[in-house]
Amino acid sequence: MTTEDVERKYSKRSSKWKLILILLVVALVAVAIGCLDVGYAPIDFPQILSILAKHVPFLNGAVNASSISAVNESIILQIRLPRVLAGAIVGAGLAAAGVMYQGVFRNPMADSYLLGASAGASFGYTLAVIYASSAVLTVIGLGFYQVVAFVGAVLTVFVVYFMSRVGNKVPVTTLLLSGVVVNVFILALQTVFELRSGKALVGIVAWIAGGFSNITWTHIYSVFPFVLVGTIIAYFFTRDLNMLSMGDDTATHLGVNTERVRRILLVISSLITAACVSISGVVGFVGLIIPHMTRLIIGPDHRMLLPTSAIVGAMFLIVCDAVARVATGANELPVGVITALAGTPVFIYLLRRRKTSYSL
Amino acid sequence: MVTLTVDGVECRYGSIKILEGVSLTVKEGDFVGILGPNGSGKTTLLRSMSRTLKPHKGVILLDKTDIYSIKSVELAKRMAVVPQENVIGFSFTAIDVVLMGRNPHMTRFQMETDKDMTIVRKAMERTNTWQFADRPVNELSGGEKQRVIIARALAQEPKVLLLDEPLTHLDMINQLEIMDLVRELCAKEGLMVMAVIHDLNLAARYCNSAILLKSGRVWAAGSLDQVLTSENIKNVFKVDAIVKKSPITNSLYIIPLSLQKTAPCKKCAIHVIGGAGTGTLIMKALVDEGYTVTAGVLNMLDTDYETADLLKIPAVTEAPFSPITEQTKKANLEMMSKAAIVVMTSVPFGYGNLSNLEAAIEAAKQGIRTYVVDEVPIECRDFTGGKAAAMLQELRDWGAVFVKHPSELPTLVNATRDKLELAKHAKGEIPGHTKKLDAVQLGGK
Repeated sequence: MTTEDVERKYSKRSSKWKLILILLVVALVAVAIGCLDVGYAPIDFPQILSILAKHVPFLNGAVNASSISAVNESIILQIRLPRVLAGAIVGAGLAAAGVMYQGVFRNPMADSYLLGASAGASFGYTLAVIYASSAVLTVIGLGFYQVVAFVGAVLTVFVVYFMSRVGNKVPVTTLLLSGVVVNVFILALQTVFELRSGKALVGIVAWIAGGFSNITWTHIYSVFPFVLVGTIIAYFFTRDLNMLSMGDDTATHLGVNTERVRRILLVISSLITAACVSISGVVGFVGLIIPHMTRLIIGPDHRMLLPTSAIVGAMFLIVCDAVARVATGANELPVGVITALAGTPVFIYLLRRRKTSYSL
Repeated sequence: MVTLTVDGVECRYGSIKILEGVSLTVKEGDFVGILGPNGSGKTTLLRSMSRTLKPHKGVILLDKTDIYSIKSVELAKRMAVVPQENVIGFSFTAIDVVLMGRNPHMTRFQMETDKDMTIVRKAMERTNTWQFADRPVNELSGGEKQRVIIARALAQEPKVLLLDEPLTHLDMINQLEIMDLVRELCAKEGLMVMAVIHDLNLAARYCNSAILLKSGRVWAAGSLDQVLTSENIKNVFKVDAIVKKSPITNSLYIIPLSLQKTAPCKKCAIHVIGGAGTGTLIMKALVDEGYTVTAGVLNMLDTDYETADLLKIPAVTEAPFSPITEQTKKANLEMMSKAAIVVMTSVPFGYGNLSNLEAAIEAAKQGIRTYVVDEVPIECRDFTGGKAAAMLQELRDWGAVFVKHPSELPTLVNATRDKLELAKHAKGEIPGHTKKLDAVQLGGK
């Protein structure tokens, strides 16, 4: 490529990026609608489209309402659609949080659970199941368990963050190590409580493995704002993330207020993760592998990496959840199992395809 | 007028003071070299000026404003930094990295404009990096990477440029290109540059002033002539060095000679008879060993004469290209008689310096231990039709020791000195030792 081409390529970059994003959004919608067709009740595809169209302004006039059965409508709208949306929201949220964590920590092992969000949520959930099984509190539309899990996740990240503070700075390595250590510690605590309680633990184990079997619209309404608003705010810090990857000193010299940017991004990503974990349980792998996969294809620029990772994460989890629903007959598989089984081969293929070594 | 003022800065790591009472003022167009040995605080000074390390005492003012009160974006528009080590996470391309230099000039919601692109391209062309703009920085060589980082700093369009050892990974041509570029930016665009530079010669050639640090304090500051003196270099680096002005580059250049001896000098004088550069290495080696060295007879402007001059070796001299007169020969003999050892190098002999050989024979006759370096066979360096060869044989007959290579000399000389010392003890000239004379075997015969 001549150097003239380079200049043209880089000055035309933003329009190219927009095009890719639009195509990805179209693909996401297509995947989501396609996965509405996956489930036990056989509902044919044209009918799914009619049911959806009935609820979309301007399109509803074209739909012949009499051709839609009430049962099917209720299955699609009350069971499958929330599941697909939850998959999209959680997938997008975890992938976006993973991008932020990897960028902030400059570490390829970082994922959305790095600072203990998953451990805190699991522990909160476990305590709630053991000690408060009859309590039915409802806060901001979430079930009691979800609120406890959310609080557990946020609290843990908070503890990890303040444990690592040195003066008014939070060194990246200290934060990473504290995260790992606190994760292990909470896991141990959780085991103690589980064993002492003597209760049936199947529910807890299943919840921790992650899944979307009991999703309702209230879950969607309570979690979506976190993911959407969080990702939008984070987007405005993506250029800073690019510079943070050059090290704190260089980022500072380039005009980035590193401590502030890091704090903002950690708060956002932790809230997103906590919100996701509270409705889906611990869905592993998405927050770690999706950012890497996207980076291998799109490149390292966070301005592009963050939105594309979110969309790819959403698509990936929708598909994985669809597979989890029907893979083994009557019993659902935890979606975390599918994400790992499906994601690993794809990721290894992408890694091997590269001729030069991959560095983060 | 852009000025950068450092006033009474003190920096500590824990309880250890790295910088103490550092004050200086730099103006636009200045190209200041920050010099000093490892651990003298150069990088710390640069880090405190670049707002990476807040000083415990003192202030750093950019145009009369404390830099620690300027917003990072505002400071980045005025000051660019090329750090010593560069982490480049992720596989950003070279142009990506240079585009980051435009960050302080962009708002949070903006993409790079055509203007940014033009500035970046210019910066990359000036640093000779445009041709690999599209390559991932991780795959570039150390020197290429360094130039990309410098391009990024230039893309910031700063008024002040701080460089921490910018030349470490660069080969000779890249060093000169970068320094030429920086000097041009200083001279034509009024950029203020402060650079930590280890290579005193490059600093001497390109900077227009310098700061010399020693143990966290400013030892000397000002023009190069004031800072780069052999006295200062000796005090700060503990190295004996020659500082001269090159007639070609019209700048100072520094030749480090040797580490300063911490061991006391040996009280033993050695007289070297050389010429035409044959004595240079020998004199240097003996001085390094700590001996008191004298030399003669040397023709002025001869290589050995210059060496003796640089090493401050007392020498009996003769006018340039002139045969040795009786008078100088006498002076030479007199100097020789004070020496414990005489060394004759494998100098070529013509009629002009034959009397040096006569003097050596004289010394050997007087019982002064005499060494002859016989590196080049005498047939090849005898331009007197066999006279010199005959005299060399005579010298051998008088007990002179012949060695094949100058590198053998220091060991031999040390052994001889020890033997002489012991002899003095034995004679009771130096009391307290009663070791036997033959305890040391003298080799080489």
